[in-house]
Amino acid sequence: MASLVQPVDWTALTPVIVPAALAVAVLVADLFLPQGRKPLLGWVTAAGLAAAALTVIPLRDGHRTTFCQPETGGGCSYAADHFTLVVQVLVLGGAALTALLSINTREKIPAGEYWFLLLSSAAGAALLPASRDLATLIVALEVTTLPAFALVGLRRDDRLAGEAALKFFLTSVTATAVSLLGISFVYAATGTLQLTAVAEGLTHTPDQLHTLARAGVALTLVGFAFKLAVAPFQFWVPDTYAGAPLPVAAYLSVVGKAAGFSGLILVTVVAFRPYAHVWGPAIGVLAALTMTVGNVGALRQRPDVPRGAVRLLAWSSIGQAGYLLVPMAAAGSADDPAHEIGTTVAYALMYAVVNLGAFAVVALVERTAPHSRLTDYRGLYASRPAAALALAFFLLCLAGLPPGVIGLFAKVAVFSSAVGAQHGWLAVIMAVNVVIALVYYLRWTALLFTAAPEPAVAADADTGAGAGAAAVRTPAGLGLAVAVTAVAGVALSGAPQLILRYAQGALL
Amino acid sequence: MDYFHGYSVVGLVAVVGVLFVGVAFASGRLLRPVVPTPEKMLTYECGVDPVGGDWAHTQIRYYVYSFLYVIFAVDAIFLFPWATVFAAPGYGGATLVEMFVFIGFLAVGLLYAWKKGVLEWT
Repeated sequence: MASLVQPVDWTALTPVIVPAALAVAVLVADLFLPQGRKPLLGWVTAAGLAAAALTVIPLRDGHRTTFCQPETGGGCSYAADHFTLVVQVLVLGGAALTALLSINTREKIPAGEYWFLLLSSAAGAALLPASRDLATLIVALEVTTLPAFALVGLRRDDRLAGEAALKFFLTSVTATAVSLLGISFVYAATGTLQLTAVAEGLTHTPDQLHTLARAGVALTLVGFAFKLAVAPFQFWVPDTYAGAPLPVAAYLSVVGKAAGFSGLILVTVVAFRPYAHVWGPAIGVLAALTMTVGNVGALRQRPDVPRGAVRLLAWSSIGQAGYLLVPMAAAGSADDPAHEIGTTVAYALMYAVVNLGAFAVVALVERTAPHSRLTDYRGLYASRPAAALALAFFLLCLAGLPPGVIGLFAKVAVFSSAVGAQHGWLAVIMAVNVVIALVYYLRWTALLFTAAPEPAVAADADTGAGAGAAAVRTPAGLGLAVAVTAVAGVALSGAPQLILRYAQGALL
Repeated sequence: MDYFHGYSVVGLVAVVGVLFVGVAFASGRLLRPVVPTPEKMLTYECGVDPVGGDWAHTQIRYYVYSFLYVIFAVDAIFLFPWATVFAAPGYGGATLVEMFVFIGFLAVGLLYAWKKGVLEWT
């Protein structure tokens, strides 16, 4: 009798298995390590995530698939194609940088659990772009977000953290419930969960199931829109980011977004292709709404509120999510959506590098100014020239101005996808939004270089100067994170084709 | 519409149920004599006089214990179907190893609970 056990291509799975296995190893190691050796775990986590990102190199030809069902005629549930590999590098690299940010944090966080949850979430985020059936997709999405709730609320004695975690939890659970309802409708209408088979099934659904199929598609997309914090489902983002530990906010803004948009791409472009004429314009409207809400929210952010820097980055991340959606709206009307998907991925890579960089500098400044107000950045160039220059560069990249060339080119690629798909109105709204975003990014940048008011107010108080001098010593993890993102940003600005070639190539 | 007519029976049963309870309570109220004594006003507690206040404390550790128990109970449910097939032809060693990987994860959880002091009652 032939073997009933499904053959598994373990090599294709390495980018997922490495963080998952490391998560269990770190959790067990934490139990037996003495208190003094615990910082080691952070370095192990960062190194392991970086190593997991490197394991895509042997897979780079992009033809591996596993968990296939050839006897039932179904496709494969796991595909390590180029889209998968690029997003896996993005999320694993982003998680590694988050780990670097977290090593020197002063917040009271239980160490072993923190690294375990971070690695578990990263494993889910790495699985998500590879999943090719709706069940795997939802499981991966939940593996990504469930540890994130705990990460947000991990500071025990902080009411703000509890509120942030609860808001995040409630919206996320609602999103999953709505998605699952939609998926069950789609399954009822098509009789399959495989993404490609769903696309085929939707083209010839029986007449009486048309309404069911359409409702299922709409509900599934609404669930993913919740996860990606697309307006009008964005209200939890600023409070959650401000209440979470800073590295976790950085993680959510990059890896959480990457998970959301890769799931949305798979669902729309692969599974719901026959309804492209419906979801294309719908995503266009959501993109316009999201970027406007995010940028106006960022503009209204007052500079003197506590944790204002994180709140501004939270609003700006909503605006950036709007830009990410623009090529996907264009993909709805394209014959071959590969270019548009590539544009989204390229923009996400740029955004991941510079946004993590900005968060790294904010984490650095937070060590001396624990309230993390925007006004605390006044005169940063005088006290910490390197950090100020790095932050200025990251903000200019996010705004899309030279010398942040990569930000500019990525925005141009997004514009051209909107114009190429005859979505001129979307390009106009995006242009208006880019101008709005310039205001608050440039305002923050200018703040870095204005003279500090400190000498005039506290010239005689040498205690302040002493504290400042002691804090100028940059801890290794944070310094490394700022350096890596700054070098990556400068390298990409010098050679934008490194990521913009995805906007030309065929990823899916 | 025929399909929804089937639900009218359900609605009828619900109405009859509400009426039954309402009529029974109302007639009881109208027919019974009301002669309260202090003994009759006591909270009914299995026929014996109630002891202590209405505010009770529960040992919260019991929650963690029961939680661990549920994890292992669910694990056992997963073991039963596996036990009926793992020796059948066509499954082989991989099936055996898979279950031990699963049990290994649970064992890590138990190890974690033990090292964190959850298993000590006092």
